[in-house]
Amino acid sequence: MHELKSTPKRYQNPEVFELLAMEYAVGSLQGRARERFEVLMDTHFYLKATVDAYEAKFANLVELLPEKKPSDAVWNNIQAHIKENPVEDVTVEQEVKTPWWQTSFFKQGFGMAAALAVVVIALNVDPKTGIDPAAIASYTAAMEYDANGEAIATTKIQKSEMKLTIDIMKPMVVADGMELTLWCHPKSGAKPMKMGTISKTGITKLDISEEEWINLQNIGSLAVTVEKQGKEVVEPTGRRILKGQLSPIKS
Amino acid sequence: MEDIYADLLHKTAKGDQLAFKQLYEQASPKLMSLSLRLMRTEALAEDVLQEGFIKIWDKADTYTPGKGKAMTWMSTVIRNKGLDKLRSLKTKPSETEIEYEGLDFASSELEPEGLQDLSQDIQGLMTCLNKLKPDQKECILLSYYYGHTHQELADKLDKPLGTIKAWIRRGLEDLRPCMN
Repeated sequence: MHELKSTPKRYQNPEVFELLAMEYAVGSLQGRARERFEVLMDTHFYLKATVDAYEAKFANLVELLPEKKPSDAVWNNIQAHIKENPVEDVTVEQEVKTPWWQTSFFKQGFGMAAALAVVVIALNVDPKTGIDPAAIASYTAAMEYDANGEAIATTKIQKSEMKLTIDIMKPMVVADGMELTLWCHPKSGAKPMKMGTISKTGITKLDISEEEWINLQNIGSLAVTVEKQGKEVVEPTGRRILKGQLSPIKS
Repeated sequence: MEDIYADLLHKTAKGDQLAFKQLYEQASPKLMSLSLRLMRTEALAEDVLQEGFIKIWDKADTYTPGKGKAMTWMSTVIRNKGLDKLRSLKTKPSETEIEYEGLDFASSELEPEGLQDLSQDIQGLMTCLNKLKPDQKECILLSYYYGHTHQELADKLDKPLGTIKAWIRRGLEDLRPCMN
């Protein structure tokens, strides 16, 4: 049995961590060893990616199982949960069904700003070759409203300021007792990183640490979820209402 | 083989409740079976299934087809929910509520004629598993399906704890090159 505690760097050895990842995926890594490995997975994306790959392979074993129908109560409870947590938790003010280029949102220039952000991203990023992490000066994301794909927020993270700035350009109506939380989603599919609570309208600035800046290299997208006010959440629990790809911009 | 669940999962990600219901109806019997073996009682298995499907509803947009089939993604969601639940329980439930059937369901499918109806992914995995020593394969499959700890496996198979650990470790070491 491989022990994680004896030599902390051992998990960086592929011979060791791949076997641990297999043990985790198959379920034989248990107790405190499993908990320690989960802590390491949160900070080391390669561990999570290796576990994901083996979990997907072992999950094919489900195909061999005989079927067992659950009771009707299970679906009824799931359905009740969905109804209690509808998409309508949040709406965009003055939602209209006219073409996007005729919306008041776009006429007010907000859409233009979002479109500009997309163009800036397209001009500065080479998705095929990628960018040397040392050359990255900032990251940006145009975030869209999930329901209709309308861009309503832009996010910029600048190394010079070590701040994340999110601009909600179209006010959002959020139910009483709810708040908006910003998350970074790793490319590996690992657990998202909470960045903080943001305002329902206008600009919010959040400080970022050196470690968070470095970790941004591994982030694929940003998302905003609606969470219960004052509730300490470590992973998204509410409906996701904004999403956008995070792209690096060269200095 | 076409991934029949991926399209439903994609629609679920867009908030399509009808697609989610279809997904549940088609996938839940297999996932309930997985949950039941892990949790040992129907009540706990249904709790895990319910929590797992709520997570599937909430996180459907994070599923990436390139990383595997939709069913394997959902299985992992349910199984991790189950393992988390087992960890949160002070004592594991007894096996009295379900008939312990070991690996009969798996071994009966290992015959060449049985493999023909299965996907290429599981055929490939079973080919790899069949290269292991029977004891190694049994321990790995019992760990996966029933979430047994090393100690539970030692008790169940009446073998020393060290032997069980060695079987699993060597089994996974032998499995790695084949799976990759």
